[in-house]
Amino acid sequence: MCRGLRKHFGSRAAVDDVSFSVAAGECYGLLGPNGAGKTTTISMVCGLLDPDEGTVTIDGAPGGSLEAKAAVGYVPQDLALYPDLTARENLEFFGQLYGLSGKGLATRISETLALVGLSDRGGDRIGSYSGGMKRRANIAAGLLHQPRLLILDEPTVGVDPQSRNAILGTVGSLGIAVLYTTHYMEEAAKLCQRIGIIDDGRFIAEGTPHGLIDQHGGQDRVRITFGPAASEVMTKASRQLNGVREVRPIEGGLELTTDHGPGVLPNVVRAAGQLGVELSGVEVVVPDLEGVFLSLTGKELRD
Amino acid sequence: MIRVIAVNELRRRIRDRSMVITCIVAPLVLAGILGFAFGGGSAGGTVRIGVTGATPTLISAAERAVQPPHTVVIVPVRQARVLKREVADGTLGGGVILTGHHTSLPDLLIPIVAPGATHSPGFEVVDRADALIGQEWSESLAAALASRLYAGHVQAGSTADLATISLTIGSHDLGNGGRTVLNYFAPSIAVIFLFIGSGLGMRSLMLERAAGTLVRMAAAPVRPLSIVLGKMLAILITGLTSIFVVWGVTTFVFGADWGDPLGVFVMCVGASLAMCGLGVFLTSLARNEREAFGVALIVGLFLSLLGGNLLPPGSLPQFLQVLSLGTPNGWSLVGFGRLSLLGDPARSVVGPFLALCAIAAVTAGLAWPRVRRMVRP
Repeated sequence: MCRGLRKHFGSRAAVDDVSFSVAAGECYGLLGPNGAGKTTTISMVCGLLDPDEGTVTIDGAPGGSLEAKAAVGYVPQDLALYPDLTARENLEFFGQLYGLSGKGLATRISETLALVGLSDRGGDRIGSYSGGMKRRANIAAGLLHQPRLLILDEPTVGVDPQSRNAILGTVGSLGIAVLYTTHYMEEAAKLCQRIGIIDDGRFIAEGTPHGLIDQHGGQDRVRITFGPAASEVMTKASRQLNGVREVRPIEGGLELTTDHGPGVLPNVVRAAGQLGVELSGVEVVVPDLEGVFLSLTGKELRD
Repeated sequence: MIRVIAVNELRRRIRDRSMVITCIVAPLVLAGILGFAFGGGSAGGTVRIGVTGATPTLISAAERAVQPPHTVVIVPVRQARVLKREVADGTLGGGVILTGHHTSLPDLLIPIVAPGATHSPGFEVVDRADALIGQEWSESLAAALASRLYAGHVQAGSTADLATISLTIGSHDLGNGGRTVLNYFAPSIAVIFLFIGSGLGMRSLMLERAAGTLVRMAAAPVRPLSIVLGKMLAILITGLTSIFVVWGVTTFVFGADWGDPLGVFVMCVGASLAMCGLGVFLTSLARNEREAFGVALIVGLFLSLLGGNLLPPGSLPQFLQVLSLGTPNGWSLVGFGRLSLLGDPARSVVGPFLALCAIAAVTAGLAWPRVRRMVRP
């Protein structure tokens, strides 16, 4: 869908050679920290920005053309609705921009409001909505014309957990191609079949969430804490356990690196009991996309 | 698509009441102030115009010719000194002193053909600068007195004297003209208002950009030109509504005469188009909506001064009169002036209308490259 995208603002490369594609029915996550180039990338996909280099193709139409724009539903990061108008009036206007009219438009407005759970508040002004309701109305405006590709730019930023779950539930049930940008790894892992990781404008990895974790996430870690007197004996015992690849001291205890943390944990607890060591804490740390990002860039995802 | 964007713009303006204020409330207030100030049908009470040096018969004849409304009363005053004092202290709204030196027919024609002329032998019009209604009626009364005296000098059926009359009036001799001031100031002030509305109206583009709705519009299958034209159409409708309200109220409530209705309509459209173009141009120069607001007000005031909305062009030096024709305000006043002051037919405003259209096209054309970038965030 987009190939070799580059965009410079002055001498700074905001996007540098980004390529990816989203298949029909697929939810594709663009994961990266703030300022990584996600919004610039999707602005080029939507036709809001012209790339310095590279091409965008949407449903066979060149990016930025009226045909391509008609196939895309764009949900910007910030609320992009008129607060003085009702949700219905907002949807009516944006629907007309996509060529909807008459009964067809009225029907779509009702369907879309129902989809985002705002049927009973459609006649209220957007300005009277809570933050979460505004976000849902914002998504409704992007879905109204039944786009082939829905682009959501960080739709859950600043949203309460309840509304966040509602938004994720709505997006997950759509069944259309979705390009989803976020810096929340758990959202990307939950929603997206494939993920592209972007940092400093460059595409640094792409794959399924599990594939990325397997490839870049490292191994499980088991952390145990206990009294200072038992450090030597527990280090020796841990090294002899099956599946433990590395043992290193941490503050108040040890960290064991293993291929399968949940499987090793009972053996660690049993060994401590046999040695008469009382464990004050146990924790299994399973690799995630945060770890993938850390592994690939050397920095936290939310830096 | 242009219509859809324009309708949405108008709907939002109605919803936030800005349309009600700019199209109904403010024009009504403006028309009311103009009407009460210049139209004479106001709570200002009776205007008394004094006359000295005329016989009761002559005064009665002049009064029949002038046909003043019931709020204007013509009163004889014995002494010129008393008349001047009463005008000065406001007891009289104005007055006319016949000095008895109007011995020639050409002298009698001056108050008639050049009311308000600074030198009218035999006549002295006494007024105050801050009492325009009194000034107008004093000049009208002087003209009526002169016409009665003139009629008394010429025998019925005689044209001999007329053929020998040679009268030269320089532009420096002319005053405010004989027609009501309201006819001039109503369209003049309405044009200022129109400009402010248009200039400020295009701020909508910047406000929508800041609010994010412009991004959503730009992401839709809509051409940037359609977005800008939709906004301009809404501003045109807003501007036209406001000027039509001023026209209607000053005409039907205060008796102003803007001239041929078709011509007035054409001029309203032309002025609104020019102001839209200028509004887009000024918006394109500003970096944010606050700057656009300030620029619109400052340029509006500058153009109003130069174009003759605040100071009649005739009172400006020659080079400024020429420069005023470089402004939409100047051309608007040329058109409205032909209709209301000269009573010309609608076809007389074709030139000013085309000039206003040209201003609209040039300013909008200059603005387009920058506005296009603004529409594509």
